[in-house]
Amino acid sequence: MTMYAKPIPKINEDSRPFWGGCKVHELRFQKCNQCGHVRWPPAIICPECHGKDTVWITAAGHGRVYTYVVYHIAYHPGFKGELPYVVAVVELHEGPRIFTNIIGCSTEEVYCDMAVEVVWDDVTTELTLPKFRPVK
Amino acid sequence: MLESGFCKYVVISYGHNAVSSDSMTTMLMTLGQDEEAFGHFGATGSYALAAQRAMYEFNTGPETWKHIAVGQRKWANLNPLAMTYNRTMSYDDYMNARWLVEPFRLFDNCLVSDGGRAYIVTSAERARDLKHRPVIIAGLGQHNPADFPQSATFLAGPTGAQIAGEAALRMAGITRDDIDACQIYDCFTYTVEITLQDYGFFKPGEGTDWFQGGTIEPGGSMPVNTSGGQLSEAYFMGLTPITEGVMQLMGRCGERQLGPQTGTKAPENILCSDNGGILQCNTTIILRRA
Ligand SMILES: [Zn+2]
Repeated sequence: MTMYAKPIPKINEDSRPFWGGCKVHELRFQKCNQCGHVRWPPAIICPECHGKDTVWITAAGHGRVYTYVVYHIAYHPGFKGELPYVVAVVELHEGPRIFTNIIGCSTEEVYCDMAVEVVWDDVTTELTLPKFRPVK
Repeated sequence: MLESGFCKYVVISYGHNAVSSDSMTTMLMTLGQDEEAFGHFGATGSYALAAQRAMYEFNTGPETWKHIAVGQRKWANLNPLAMTYNRTMSYDDYMNARWLVEPFRLFDNCLVSDGGRAYIVTSAERARDLKHRPVIIAGLGQHNPADFPQSATFLAGPTGAQIAGEAALRMAGITRDDIDACQIYDCFTYTVEITLQDYGFFKPGEGTDWFQGGTIEPGGSMPVNTSGGQLSEAYFMGLTPITEGVMQLMGRCGERQLGPQTGTKAPENILCSDNGGILQCNTTIILRRA
């Protein structure tokens, strides 16, 4: 087995449910029971109303590209073979915005507000990354 | 501290061996959390995300930013301390440079420098007896919108510069029209555009016109980053802009001195900005000739 050559997420107690969800191909976020705000990154209180009453929900996996960039330089050797690649902030229909990659199209085809859907990349037996592709 | 008598003189300094050590790279490469798993690193990537959103929301992009990179380089070519003193830059040089993180090319990025800067703050009364003509801190404003870059709503403005700038002008008792030059924190070309835009020098997207014809260059109507700035002089965080503002008002800038010799107005008020994180905080200082 070859070693996974890219950085892995710095998983902590707050983000563990999110990454656990990814392993079973579910996008899980915290929702505030007091005001309904769906938040990311995870936190013990709601950034909108400071409520502590929280439930984890599963997002449908649809959203839009809020903004994106194209990397032409590998700041980490693990990404040398990927150049050029797209890093984007995707805003999910449920509200949260997350960092991700846009795949399944050329770098020139990506644009702000493009409709995208989640596609699961099982990069190791322990880690699945939520990536996004254009909605056909 | 100075007014209450706890201290007489305060030295504010910054020094870094960012070229000859790996500390700057290490800091930038460990800024993030989960985004590293997607290949997103450092400040260039996140400021490029902001710049891309700005390109989408209003009319900006490399055709605007090239005026900032080239204009500041012209100032650096008058500054023997600048890292790029002996290297000129044309619009073609800017456009032909390689992409790093698109929409940013090489010259959209600031320098990495070995060196340092310092300035001394004291009471206006003590300053009167010192060797050099003092410079007065006439106004100060701060605003920190703070959000993480992925959830930020201010990437394409308004950044903290809007409220911080208004507060600083109000304290100084002047308007934007009284500003003779700006020293803007310029980690990237886009940072200069969005900061000046949020101060109200032009409306969103009108920067493309505003920068035309050498506005910020020697001979221009609003000189910006007259040492070359972080893009073309050296990167010493907020001390690159503020020390240049002080030196200009003291009249100690040699060949690049604002006034008749550079075809610009002799300055009375200079606006300086500092910026932290990914446009997450802004401090604005108005310096005045004593
Ligand atoms: Zn809430």
